[in-house]
Formats: sequence, structure tokens, C-alpha cells
Amino acid sequence: MKNRRFLSDLLVYIFLAVAGFFCLFPLLMALMNSFKTNGELLTNVMSFPKSLKFDNYIRTFNKMHYLRSLGNNVLLVGSSVTLIILFSSLAGWKLCRTKTGLSKIIFSVFVLSMIIPFSSIMIPLYKVVLVLKIKNSILGLSAVYAGLGVSMAVFLYHGFVKSIPYELEEAAAIDGSSGLHAFFSVVLPLLKPITATICITNVLWIWNDFLLPLIVISDSKKYTLLLSTNTLFGQYNNDWTAILSALILAAIPVIIFYAFFQKRILEGIADGALRG
Amino acid sequence: MNLLIYATPALIVYIIFKLYPAFSGVFYALTDWNGINKTYEIVGIANFLEVFKDKYFWQSVLFTMKYVAAMIVVCNVMALTLAIAIESRRKTKGFFRTLFYMPNMISMVIGGYMWMFIFTKVLYYMADNWGLKFLDQSWIGNPKYSFIAIIIVSAWGSVGYLMIIYMAAIQGVPGSLIETAELYGANSWQKFWNVTLPLISHSLTICIFWTLNSAFQVFDVIYTLTGGGPGRATQSVAINIYEEAFKGNIRYGYATSKSLVLLVIVIIITMIQLKLMKEREQEL
Repeated sequence: MKNRRFLSDLLVYIFLAVAGFFCLFPLLMALMNSFKTNGELLTNVMSFPKSLKFDNYIRTFNKMHYLRSLGNNVLLVGSSVTLIILFSSLAGWKLCRTKTGLSKIIFSVFVLSMIIPFSSIMIPLYKVVLVLKIKNSILGLSAVYAGLGVSMAVFLYHGFVKSIPYELEEAAAIDGSSGLHAFFSVVLPLLKPITATICITNVLWIWNDFLLPLIVISDSKKYTLLLSTNTLFGQYNNDWTAILSALILAAIPVIIFYAFFQKRILEGIADGALRG
Repeated sequence: MNLLIYATPALIVYIIFKLYPAFSGVFYALTDWNGINKTYEIVGIANFLEVFKDKYFWQSVLFTMKYVAAMIVVCNVMALTLAIAIESRRKTKGFFRTLFYMPNMISMVIGGYMWMFIFTKVLYYMADNWGLKFLDQSWIGNPKYSFIAIIIVSAWGSVGYLMIIYMAAIQGVPGSLIETAELYGANSWQKFWNVTLPLISHSLTICIFWTLNSAFQVFDVIYTLTGGGPGRATQSVAINIYEEAFKGNIRYGYATSKSLVLLVIVIIITMIQLKLMKEREQEL
């Protein structure tokens, strides 16, 4: 019995180790080869670099305008997520607390459209962007993200508000605070758990989204990290040492973010998925 | 009245950037609007007739279906296996969970290019120097193998997400039920098949739903890995529409009618899904 237990434990660990190695493999290969010279890389992709030279990194750091691209990304994600949280918490809360035919209609309009795939609206959306003259505008793009993101967020807020007691808002009304003031001082703090979930899922989505910026942003000064990386890939056709260092640079912010908030992130992901 | 004031900001961005594009698409699909001429004319259903005859479009639809089917099976089997394996560990659970979710944090554009390096350099090295001859394939150039490559990379990037959902579900299974099953002498497989699986069937539905919807829109992986090639052999619907509109022909009107056909397909599939789900829930 004891032997069998040991054997099954061993098998599980072998399986987990193989899977773990598979997860890290592309990252490790990219990291290892990003420090090499082109000659070293061509002779052996599996060897450790002879010395830790940051030449490739310096080259690509400048070439992809790293800090500028990073700044654009931060601005884009920050403003989009702020809009989504603000707009959808207001709407989701009020739609839940108002029980009329109109509120039901508005809510179902938000929910029904969730099945529309992005590629179906991509081209007319591009037209809207042209007409509103927000092509190449980071803030304009964040308004687009708000438009695409609010329906899910309204749905999540709506569901969460149902679970918090109405008495607290009544108490606030008796104390004389009502309307927007009551919302920000009483309701919004109560929504914190779901706000965290919505924040995390949207930050990850927008940070890693590629197709929408690819269509909307063509000015290289406004490039996000992914757009700069993508352009670099085209320019450095087969210069893998440069490309790999650029990929590592582009991945670093997310990995740092993950290292700091991994517990929160994993909780938020599970929470968001099970409510969705 | 009050209601409208609070809902207005969300409604405005939502209508401008989602609802209006969805509806105006129906109009553009009937025009010969393109990126070159300033004006456009209504051409009726000519675009749709062309879509139905467009060999490459239907080829991309078929490819997407194949991709979706493979992803549903591969990702869910992998994710569920990992979730069970991790849940059975007490001390290393947190570590493995963090590790397996890591690829999901990284954009598939970055992941795709990293894997491109593996497929075009590293695997050949292994084939030549370690004698792993089966790795010596044209992973990007031969559609048969690039399909496998695309599935590997996509699964790498999404299994962690599904695993998190399955883990949350497994944690919800009462330990007392498992113990009871043990008392009756159930082995590991019986415990999983007869106790755990029925209790987490809700998360199974969520995960299959999610895989289906996200796989149907696959773009980044294919864009970075094969660009839809060789030729158009690995084009997904999203890539096909993107190329029609933003590369080469710039035929916006025609591309829009393609995207409406896609929408109809998605709606039909969703309706089938909902029906199946309802039937299943009634059974339970």
C-alpha cells in the first residue's frame, strides 16, 4: 500500500514537472539566447551564453522606444479601466436597484450583445474611429475599449449589487446623503471585491490586446509595447538575438505585475470566470 | 429618469463603439465601400453572393472549426488533468498553480514569436544533435504540421486559465463525499468519474463555452506564427476578414459582409449551445 502511494506520488510529480518545463520552455530559451551574439546563437541554441552582455537589450531598448511604448500602454490601460469601472458601476448598480421595464430592457441590451465577436464589428468600428477622428489617439482608443468592455462589467456589477443589502443605502438616505454622493461614499466601497475582479480581468485583456491597436494606431509614436515588438520583428527579419531580447523586454512588465499580485490575479480570474 | 442619468455614460460608449458598428455593418455590407474611393454605392446583396462563392473564406471557416474542435478537447483535458494533479498536492499546490498560469499572463503575440523561435531553430537543433528525428519537420511551412504548432502554442497560452476555473470548482466538492466514496472502496478513477466530475459539471460547461468563444476569434497566434500561410492554408476567419479589409484589397464593404456571415454562424452555434445546456440542466 505504502509503495503504491509512493509510486503514484512520483508519477504525479513527473507529470507536473514535465508540464511545468513545457510552460517555461519558450521563456527560458528566449532568455538564454537573448544574451548571445548572432554567431553563438547560430552554432548552438542550447548552450548557455558565454558572457552576460546586454548589447542586444540596449540595441532593442532604443529601437523599440521602450519607455515611450511602455508609457503608452500604461496610459491606455489606466484610462480604459478607469472608464470601464466608473461607467459600469454606476450603470450596473442603478439598473439593479431600479425595477422597471426600462431597466430590464437596458440590462438585456447590454447582456445580449456579449456574443458579438470582435471580428464582426471590426470594420464598421474602424469607420466610427475615422469619423470621430480618434485614429492614433490613445485616449480615443480607451473610449473604444470602454465601449467594448462595459457590457461584461455592467453584468458583473449588476449581479454583485443583488447580493448586498439595500438597507445600507436606505440608512445613507436617512442620513441625508443621496444620489451620486451616496453612491461614492456608501455603495462603491461595498463593491470593492467585484471592482477588483473587473479591474484585473480588464487590465490583462487590454494590456495584451493586439488586433484593435493594430487597426487603430498607425503612428509609431503612439505604439503600444506589442505594436513596437511586432514592427521590430518585421525589421529584424532573422536577427533572433535582437528579436528575443525585445520579446523579453516586452514580457518583463507583465511578469513583474504577476510576481507582485499573483494571488489577487488568480483569485480575480477564477471569480470573474465563475460569475461570467 | 434617474435611471437614465446613471446608465447614460455606459450606454453612450457602448452604443457608439459596439451597438452602432454591429448595426451599421448591415448597411456597409450592401455597399462597395473601400479604402481607395471616397464615395461608395449600394450594390445590394452582391457581396453576400460573392461570399458564398468565396473558396478561401469557407476554407478559413472550416479551418477555424477544426481549430475550435481541437482546442476544446486538448485544452480541457489538459486543464482538468492539471487541476486534479495539483489539487492532490498539499504543499506544492500554490507553486504549480502560479507556474502553470504564467503563460496566460503573456500576450500571445510575444508567446507566438517565442514559439516561432522554438519551431524554426530549437527543434531543428534537437533533431540534428540529439537524434530526435521526428522533430525534423517543416513546422511553419507545412500546413499539416503548422496546425499542430498552432494548437501547441494556443494551448500553452490558455490551459492555465481553464485550470484555475477547474481548481476553483474542485475545491467546492465536499471532502465528506470523497471520504464516503473511499469507505465504499472506490478507486481514484471511480472517485473522479462518479463523484467529482458530476459535481463540477457546471465549470465544465463554463470552460467549454469559453474555449469555443475565444477559439472562434483566434487571431494573434496565427498572425505571429504563420501569418495564415503557407498560402492561405492556416487562415482563421478573423485573419481572413482582417486581410480582406486592411491588407491588399482594402475592400471594407465586402469584408463587412463576410463578418456578418461570421456573426450568423456564431449566433447559430450559441443557440445550439444554450439549448444543449438547458436540456442538460433539466436532466440534473
